[in-house]
Amino acid sequence: MNFEMITPRTTGELLQALANNQGSRVRIGAGYTDLILELKGLKCEETPLVINLADLTDPKFTHIEKTDAGIRLGALVTAGKVIIDASIQTELPVLCKAASELGSRQLRHRATLGGNLCTASPAGDIAAALVALEARCEILSADGTLRTLALTDFLVGVRKTALRQDEVLQSVFIPTRKSINKHLLSDFLKVGTRRSMEIAVVSLAYQFELDAEEIIRHAGIAIGSVAPTVKFVSAAGEFLVGKKFSSIGAVAADKFAAMVCAEATPISDIRASAWYRREVLYNISRGIFDK
Amino acid sequence: MKKTIKFSINGTKVQQEVLPAYLLIDVIRDGLGLRGTKPGCLEGECGACTVLIDGLAVNSCLYLAVNADGKEVTTIEGLISGPDFSLDPVQQAMVDFGAVQCGFCTSGMVMSIKGFYDECVSAQIQPNREQIKKGLEGNLCRCTGYKKIIDAVESLFEEA
Ligand SMILES: Cc1cc2nc3c(=O)[nH]c(=O)nc-3n(C[C@H](O)[C@H](O)[C@H](O)COP(=O)(O)OP(=O)(O)OC[C@H]3O[C@@H](n4cnc5c(N)ncnc54)[C@H](O)[C@@H]3O)c2cc1C
Ligand code: FES
Ligand code: FES
Repeated sequence: MNFEMITPRTTGELLQALANNQGSRVRIGAGYTDLILELKGLKCEETPLVINLADLTDPKFTHIEKTDAGIRLGALVTAGKVIIDASIQTELPVLCKAASELGSRQLRHRATLGGNLCTASPAGDIAAALVALEARCEILSADGTLRTLALTDFLVGVRKTALRQDEVLQSVFIPTRKSINKHLLSDFLKVGTRRSMEIAVVSLAYQFELDAEEIIRHAGIAIGSVAPTVKFVSAAGEFLVGKKFSSIGAVAADKFAAMVCAEATPISDIRASAWYRREVLYNISRGIFDK
Repeated sequence: MKKTIKFSINGTKVQQEVLPAYLLIDVIRDGLGLRGTKPGCLEGECGACTVLIDGLAVNSCLYLAVNADGKEVTTIEGLISGPDFSLDPVQQAMVDFGAVQCGFCTSGMVMSIKGFYDECVSAQIQPNREQIKKGLEGNLCRCTGYKKIIDAVESLFEEA
């Protein structure tokens, strides 16, 4: 493994680094839990250049910020930080659960949210939760402009994002939904071949908002490892809206599970067959309503 | 191009010349001659290489040495203290519970437990057995079957 490195300390230095260095040899490094393995396997003629974000102190990149409008999480926030943040625990519990399922404690201390999104793995745990939460990506470009893009548009394919060469992911923003008396029902379900340290064979992230009468007012649902990207399943979510959670019976649960599966296009690989992935997705989707 | 990094290792300030691609595990073992930190998978799976950086357990095989600049690194060698080489309570518990067999995983396991224990104490969390298992999911042991290790960790919290 060999590479060169630039370590910007301020956003100004970062923008300059992005402006002066473009092309296929440039990589951005955050927590390195994916990047080191990628750089080790790389066989390229040009020496890679890593723009190392480890010393960046700009709170836009490093902090979790809560305002009336919503919650903003910097791209450099680690899974470990997400888990212990009080506002995430109460308002975005699906994200908290997903972050706690990522890798191991050691990895969670390093793995960043931005790295999880930019790696664009269909099995990304944090990605699945953020898709369910309809997060928006805030992308900074070398000329200093910021653009926002829905996360579902940011994730364009297996290991492919909508980031251009002179861009970096700064943060994600999750707008607060204005509703009265809501309470949340959420989970992140990850099925693998063992319990710990497992990349998902199928994952399902959901966060429902219920009103005082237990009527589902909003349902954000995402599925992982069953399509080239993590997918938001809107039709199945809309199907639930207006229904009372506790009165969803077997028929509606079956219909819901079938609607979730309709959005899946799983493949067979060494970890599981397409058939198995579909069966598991059906069962865990249906299982949300098991009492 | 080599860069000079300064950091503290087990309380002592050191300086190393490193290339950007140098991994912390190699600087610890080869640069500083501290061989207690073990290379296992070198892919973040096994935890044998676990060290503490500013008190948090990380895999030194996935950590760039340049990013240790200015940090406090603790390795297994740093847990021994005093002129009579007293063991850290974590090490003592591992001995008392017979939680060491071949020993290859042990330094990483101990560092992981140390980091977990200190984090729990400062957050005032009394973990149950399941939480202890989850805390150690990044450390593989081929010998012990984990039971004695988890017993050892539980004992630390009982005394506390
Ligand atoms: C043993 C092991 C187990 C794992 N288990 C899981 C798991 O259970 N679930 C899971 O989801 N993942 C898992 N991972 C993958 C990995 O830990 C996560 O994807 C992690 O979130 C990546 O974050 P990072 O900060 O380490 O990214 P890095 O490795 O630093 O970067 C990853 C990619 O994103 C790019 N990048 C990073 N930050 C930015 C940014 N701000 N702007 C633009 N591009 C950026 C990098 O160029 C690189 O291509 C595992 C990895 C290992 C080694
Ligand atoms: S050697 Fe680092 S985790 Fe295995
Ligand atoms: S004691 Fe041998 S691997 Fe754990």
